[in-house]
Amino acid sequence: MQSTAELWSALTADSEKFAQYVQALRDIDGRVGSFLSFSPQVVSSQKTGSLSGIPVGVKDNIAVEGQPLTCGSRILENLISPYSATAIQRLVAEGALMVGKTNLDEFGMGSSCENSALGNTSNPWNLDYVAGGSSGGSAAAVAAGLVPLALGSDTGGSVRQPASFCGVYGLKPTYGSISRSGLTAYASSLEVIGPMARDLQLLKESFRVMAGLDSMDQSGTAGSCSSDQTNGTIAVLELDEGVLDAPVAEAYRQAIDALEALGHPIKRVSLQSLNLIVPAYYTIATAEASANLARFNGIRYGMAPTFAENPAELMRKARHEGFGDEVKLRILLGTYVLRSGFQDQYYGQAQKVRTLIRQELAAIYQDASAILMPVFPTQAFKKGEGGMDEYRQKTADVFTCLANLAGLPALAIPTGLSGGLPLGMQLMAPAFGEERLFALAKELEKTFPLETPEGALDIGSLQ
Amino acid sequence: MVPSQDEWSLTAELARLELDEGEAVRLASEAERMKELFLTMSQANVEGLEPTTHAFAGDNRVRPDSAVSFDNTDRFLDAAPEAEDEFILIPNVL
Repeated sequence: MQSTAELWSALTADSEKFAQYVQALRDIDGRVGSFLSFSPQVVSSQKTGSLSGIPVGVKDNIAVEGQPLTCGSRILENLISPYSATAIQRLVAEGALMVGKTNLDEFGMGSSCENSALGNTSNPWNLDYVAGGSSGGSAAAVAAGLVPLALGSDTGGSVRQPASFCGVYGLKPTYGSISRSGLTAYASSLEVIGPMARDLQLLKESFRVMAGLDSMDQSGTAGSCSSDQTNGTIAVLELDEGVLDAPVAEAYRQAIDALEALGHPIKRVSLQSLNLIVPAYYTIATAEASANLARFNGIRYGMAPTFAENPAELMRKARHEGFGDEVKLRILLGTYVLRSGFQDQYYGQAQKVRTLIRQELAAIYQDASAILMPVFPTQAFKKGEGGMDEYRQKTADVFTCLANLAGLPALAIPTGLSGGLPLGMQLMAPAFGEERLFALAKELEKTFPLETPEGALDIGSLQ
Repeated sequence: MVPSQDEWSLTAELARLELDEGEAVRLASEAERMKELFLTMSQANVEGLEPTTHAFAGDNRVRPDSAVSFDNTDRFLDAAPEAEDEFILIPNVL
């Protein structure tokens, strides 16, 4: 039987089939809205390598030379990237095809893709529901079968939460293991590029290709995870009743049972710092965002007002017209917590809380190989008014932003459906423990086989 | 304008954000709510802990201090809203 990679490689090498694929993709994406731009002509540049001919969707905050780099924002609506991110260069060197840019919450700030100024993405399982965010376009594209592989970026859960909402695998790698060069900076000490796929082998291979030190990213890290001395023990986070929606709570129990049935000793643990995770995360993320987004001022690139009396007015007008509400809110909060006199109270305290959290996790890993926990307290929520308000979305990031504060790798794994919508759990390993996560996901594959939404693209049906 | 709104307006000015009245009221209220959440961190006992600035802080890795020329400077200039020859144009400073 041909592997997923071989099937896709054969498809993109056949110009007739490729044309059919492009048409089918356009038809399906007319409903799902996962891509902001699509550049299928790249098929002619196919190279030989471990990802030869694999079409990849790229979150539109990652630079691909000659393609748009909008970050889902009006302020960058017409920007064409002059260069490619290191991760993209490495994928291209292995023959992968960058076929288009996917929708996201503006600058990666959100959990639904509804904060995008440029596109409207729906969940392929039910178009009335969100695909999640901020890498919602990438998750939706993979779930709908439009591409076998897509890239997102994970600052506080932006790969894992949409992967979970759409029923695909999503990896947040160890901080620094994939170069951030070419990833539009939002919160530099937290974020990392991560792949999403329906096929574990492809997910693993894409990570292998992208990982490694890069002279363009001085915050890069390389290392290895010591061998497991815990007999495969899985720590399970104990949570109060009512923290999770009923279907997610049930899925959590099922995942624990599945791991136990596979022979993994289960150790129940609690996190004393659980309630500190979200405030520490948002303090640090907004502080870094306020500094990083200062570069968007209408001078060197992006949108500029038609008239301004002086440079200061030009900057204010460009940012007023170019940024959406959520971006303005986070810049405002970040500027506030860094203001003279407030720094120790907020940013300094958050960084110490971060140390506290890391120490607590290190203690858990003394006796456990990985930690199992939910990705998000709910399944995908409804779009628009009937959905989840922005404040609740932020507090619901508690399980995902933990890995970002600690810099640890975490993998979202699909664990079935409830009410016609996907469920997902995540496993978090010590630093550089990605292989451990892939192995655990492989073990769980039989218990939780991947489901496919109705109307997804089936490349086997293309003649 | 309530005091907290003044505070957020001043912060907006520092952030080079121009907010219209509707935005100012809406964002100040959301920002206050988040600030309250941030303040809950004051209960944490962090005495004696060093701040974490980078998950795996080690020695600085720096590139050699040597000049490198880019072969695609034109493309970077093309991205500017207004440019002339090799210069980016901005309104008069004075």
